[in-house]
Amino acid sequence: MNLIGKFLIGAIFFFSVGCSDDQNNDAVETEEHHETEEHSEAIKISDEVMKEFGIEVKEAGPGVIKSHIDLTGEIIAEPSRISHIIPRFNGIVKEVYKTVGDKVSKGETLAIIESNESLAPYEVQSLIDGTIIEMHMTQGELIGNEAHAFTIADLNKVWANFNIYQKDLGKIKVGQRASVSVGSMDIEETGTISYVSPIVDEKTRTATARVILNNQTGKWLPGMFITANVYVSEKKYPVVVEKTALQTLEEQVVVFVKDEDGGFRPQAVKTGNENNDNIEILSGLNAGDQYVSKNSFILKAEILKESFGGDHGH
Amino acid sequence: MNRIIDFAIKNRLLILVLGIIIMAAGYLSYKQLPIDAFPDVSPSLVQVFTVTEGLAPEEVEKYVTYPIEVTMNGLPNLETIRSVSNFGLSVVNIYFEDGTDIYFARQLVNERLTEAREQIPEGFGDPQMGPISTGMGLVLFYYLDDTTGKYSLEELRTIQDWLIKYQLQTVPGVTEVLGIGGYEKQFQVAVDPNALLRYDVTINEIVEKIKANNLNVGAQFIEKDAEEFVVRSVGLTQKIEDIENIIIKAEDGIPIYLSQLAEVEIGGAIRRGVQTRNGIGEVISGMVVKLYGTNSSTVIGAVEKKLAELNKILPEGIRIVPYYEQKSLVESAVTTVTDALWQGIILVVIILMVFMGSLRPSIVVALSIPFAILFAFIGMSYFNISINLMSFGGLAIAIGMMVDATIVLVENVDRLKRESSKEENFIHIIAVASKEVIRPITFAIVIIIAVFIPLFTLQGVEGKTFSPLAYTIALAMLGSLIFAILIAPVLSSYLMKRTKRELKKSKEQKELWIVVQLQKFYEPLVRFFVRRRITAIVLASVILLFGIIIFPQLGSEFTPTLQEGTIVMRMSMAPSISLTESTRLTLIAERRLMKIQEVAGAVTRIGRGEVGAHTDPINSAEMYILLKPKDQWRQDMSQTELEEIIREEFGEIPGALVNFTQPIQMTVDELLEGVRAELAIKLFGGDLEVLKNEAEKIASVIRTVKGAEDVQVDQVTGAPQLKIMVDRHNIARYGINVEDVQQVIRTAVGGETSGQIFEEIRRFDILVRFTPEARLTASAIGEILIKAPDGTNVPLSQLAEIEEVIGPRQITRENNQRFITIQANVVGRDIGSFVEEGQQLIESSVKLPPGYLVTWGGQFRLQQEANARFAVVIPITLLLIFLLLFFNFRSVKNSLLILLNIPLALVGGVAALWISGQNLSVPSSVGFIALFGIALENGMILVTYFNQLMKEGLKVDEASVKGALLRVRPVLMTALTTALGLIPLLFAAGTGSEVQRPLATVVIGGLFTSTILTLLVLPALYKWFSIKYESGAM
Repeated sequence: MNLIGKFLIGAIFFFSVGCSDDQNNDAVETEEHHETEEHSEAIKISDEVMKEFGIEVKEAGPGVIKSHIDLTGEIIAEPSRISHIIPRFNGIVKEVYKTVGDKVSKGETLAIIESNESLAPYEVQSLIDGTIIEMHMTQGELIGNEAHAFTIADLNKVWANFNIYQKDLGKIKVGQRASVSVGSMDIEETGTISYVSPIVDEKTRTATARVILNNQTGKWLPGMFITANVYVSEKKYPVVVEKTALQTLEEQVVVFVKDEDGGFRPQAVKTGNENNDNIEILSGLNAGDQYVSKNSFILKAEILKESFGGDHGH
Repeated sequence: MNRIIDFAIKNRLLILVLGIIIMAAGYLSYKQLPIDAFPDVSPSLVQVFTVTEGLAPEEVEKYVTYPIEVTMNGLPNLETIRSVSNFGLSVVNIYFEDGTDIYFARQLVNERLTEAREQIPEGFGDPQMGPISTGMGLVLFYYLDDTTGKYSLEELRTIQDWLIKYQLQTVPGVTEVLGIGGYEKQFQVAVDPNALLRYDVTINEIVEKIKANNLNVGAQFIEKDAEEFVVRSVGLTQKIEDIENIIIKAEDGIPIYLSQLAEVEIGGAIRRGVQTRNGIGEVISGMVVKLYGTNSSTVIGAVEKKLAELNKILPEGIRIVPYYEQKSLVESAVTTVTDALWQGIILVVIILMVFMGSLRPSIVVALSIPFAILFAFIGMSYFNISINLMSFGGLAIAIGMMVDATIVLVENVDRLKRESSKEENFIHIIAVASKEVIRPITFAIVIIIAVFIPLFTLQGVEGKTFSPLAYTIALAMLGSLIFAILIAPVLSSYLMKRTKRELKKSKEQKELWIVVQLQKFYEPLVRFFVRRRITAIVLASVILLFGIIIFPQLGSEFTPTLQEGTIVMRMSMAPSISLTESTRLTLIAERRLMKIQEVAGAVTRIGRGEVGAHTDPINSAEMYILLKPKDQWRQDMSQTELEEIIREEFGEIPGALVNFTQPIQMTVDELLEGVRAELAIKLFGGDLEVLKNEAEKIASVIRTVKGAEDVQVDQVTGAPQLKIMVDRHNIARYGINVEDVQQVIRTAVGGETSGQIFEEIRRFDILVRFTPEARLTASAIGEILIKAPDGTNVPLSQLAEIEEVIGPRQITRENNQRFITIQANVVGRDIGSFVEEGQQLIESSVKLPPGYLVTWGGQFRLQQEANARFAVVIPITLLLIFLLLFFNFRSVKNSLLILLNIPLALVGGVAALWISGQNLSVPSSVGFIALFGIALENGMILVTYFNQLMKEGLKVDEASVKGALLRVRPVLMTALTTALGLIPLLFAAGTGSEVQRPLATVVIGGLFTSTILTLLVLPALYKWFSIKYESGAM
């Protein structure tokens, strides 16, 4: 019976080893991962591999960051350059000389009306040099003195009025440069913000910014829908890096810095102003430091490597 | 039992016909058996996939995964439900108990799915079951080779999706063809947000308008004269211009067309997978999925034929090129075993010829091989076992054993025939000879079958791998028994008739020369041992001691991996990686591979294509390494060696982990989804943040326990999110609903499908979203305008907080609860005590919030379960064997004497492993099991005869010597046939040989020592174990 017992133990042993070995294999594998765990260690990458993977290094230094805000708005005729012509007396329109779109000069006769009171015809004259943009008068019509018969606008200068949403209110100021354009058309002009409304419209909850545009050529038509890039800041900062250099590592913003022996280390930084391409570094990086400007993600991944091993897909 | 013999001999013709019928039935079964490479180890699993475009893991879990899981609860035979909620995809794996019929399981799941669908909000995806297939189902991969270079990726994908796919799906046995790579064609409407403002339109109005202008309707029919005219109104958009000319609104009679608000163009849909090739660029590829239970080789053959046809009708310059086929694997696996089978048969026949000295008895014996094999096929089709490496391997292993029973019988017939006088009736001689041995033969075979019982209780992957082997061996042995007791006597009567010359010969001359020589050599030896029993005991003890000494020196390993002959390099990249970046890295890696001399090409799948087979995220790439023919290699290498070379020359990819795997292995691993570490502590609970923190705490506690190694917490987070949190106060001020905001975000940034365009039967989505500049950056998203009910437009950043956060990579759940895994290995101490200590420490030092639960699992648990099972099964088996022996001998002593064979047989197996430098592994354990049976068999033959001689009145010593001398031929023959039958497996180098080799080594080694024991030690010890004969035991 002793023999049987021995055999039994032997048999069980065979099976238990049989089943247990894969852990040994695994142990070896995970041990390998373990070695790469050290975060503080600099990552060494040969120049060849850097080239292969497109990892580029640049020098951090002073730079200018321009940032802008996009606004939408419309072209309107300048209110001070609009005149409404209203017939003085009620009467029948006898003659109409001008029509919408005609350019008129100050004092030019626009129409002749026969007064109801005096039954005498009188001339309706333009008050300013400008273009007729509105007309409510046809021959033979009885016209009253309450409606304006003509609206004449001087379109040599127009206003570009932009809506400022609340979130941008603090940033838009008089004097900022703005590049005004019409979406799909190839019309663009740069101007200066001349006015920011002191109140916010109760209905739209937007404030208004204005750029006065020259319009001798007549390309800006009132009613046009326009957009503007307002350059809200343009400043030189002591340390500026390309935005592609930033990575988030363990909930910190880092830049990968090349140290003296050619290794790369993540360096936590504090960032300041930014635009689409560049960003100001407030602390953590000095001018003259070599930093990874392109494909720094690979370095971040290298550090995180041990954490994403071992799991299967999904 | 004697009656069976009598019956057989009386009805010789009937038995013969019966034998032929069984063999014919076996052949028919063989023709119908499915052929696979390996036994399918996939679990009984139904997968439910839900594609939920654009949804983050949290939402996928909440809206999709959870309802599906809940409805699946309580299904019959259900084992576990595990789910993974990923970005844009929910996968629910419903595991059923092993052996559950897959169609039954699918039906159950399908019934519940209708319920689940109702609970998933509209537009959040439609759950679908995966293909009716298993881990072995991916039988063929191909890519499209465009030699002209003028087709765009969209065009090629359209060819794949609408031409190739549907053609291939008509091939019988193909359940699914899944495309990946390139872009699915789409009509994209890129809306300019400024134009929306200009014309006072919202993006959702555009979506509605497109839907409302893209219809065909039917309106019954009208009668005109005697005819009916079907009325139909045609209003489907057919081309880009049709979409552009849709009127969005009319202001004072002036229509505003869509073209004024948006650009319409053909583009590629959002994708979660890319296929690349040779480091050059993207390709389009497809995967053919085989239907569950079909014959791999037939299906692949049919697919290949279809591919050849398709190649003819594809546009000029485009070709379908298969880059992975399971066929070659199936073929080589089956070839390996078939070769070994044939070689084994030939060797066995040679042995028979040598020992029997004539062809005729050898034919009788050799016929037992085809009979037993064909009998096994009948059983295999009954038990639904496919022809594969393991089941065929079982047959190869059993070749030598199949003949044993018949050898003993025929040898006895032969011997009695030689001893008989001329007058005796030959048929009568056969009957006597058969009756003499039938009982021990039957018991011996039954015992061999019985020793395989523990194998049937193996579970999981090992169980599925090795049970086909155990089944086929058991079936073949049963077949050989039937042959031996029914057919062999009949055949002997036909084939072994005494020739005239034989009759003339004297008794002396009748003995075969080789047998005489053998006995001459053996007689003094056996006499020596019988006289000096002590020497026998010393010999046995020395051998045993040797075994005990070398046993601990054996290494151990898991089941050797089945080499599939295809190398897959798997690259895991950072979880937050973008598809563009992972494609870039993959192409670099491919270029590196192409520089290696042996590599002919590389085709890589990144992420997933059409849902059904793979669920990988985009940070995972699988490179199929295509190798040049072997003669172009630097040297002759095995797959493992080649992997080593590739690994070395490939080097490191910064930011990516690389490991080698194989196609089937990879798929199966994914389906099993088990934790491979020794110890897996699962922390269940509700809140991801809490789970993560508590898991970290547990991990740090575990690290302090002695013996802990590689303690790791699953990285569940790491996917960056742009989180837009709507501020309820702010929207209240404008009278906007949360949904209004979200609707705009979804459409503007993610895009909204607004109907389809039909091109013949092909259909392509119309996707409406903002122009790229207006949605691709966080600040651009902040500028998106939301329209309040009073017409005011408010930028999103004024209504919501937009921040970049790190979110979960995926949410894994088991049995309706979120969990996180802490893995560890235990080194240098007993895992049981480790677990105990760890549990106590965690109990005392980690205070879990209510509702959080820790479970301890991992491989160790499986192992414990297996050990517990074996602790029951092995003693029962031994008891059963002992009982069988006891029924045979009706003597405890005799039975014990035979059991004594086992330890010495084990020693031989251990020594063989040690000498050949192999390790203890599951296959070698299987070898040990087979060894038990064979070792017992020889002992039985011998002891039976001793008893018989004792009964005839011989003295113990005399009986021992004479018995041994008379039985040396069958004992040697059975041992040699078994051993030689395995020799081909020992030297086979083909696919799958790595699993068979340890097994063959153990059996051959064990046979060596057990034969020595049987022939030398057993006769010596017999005296002490003999029965005092007066009452007959036989």
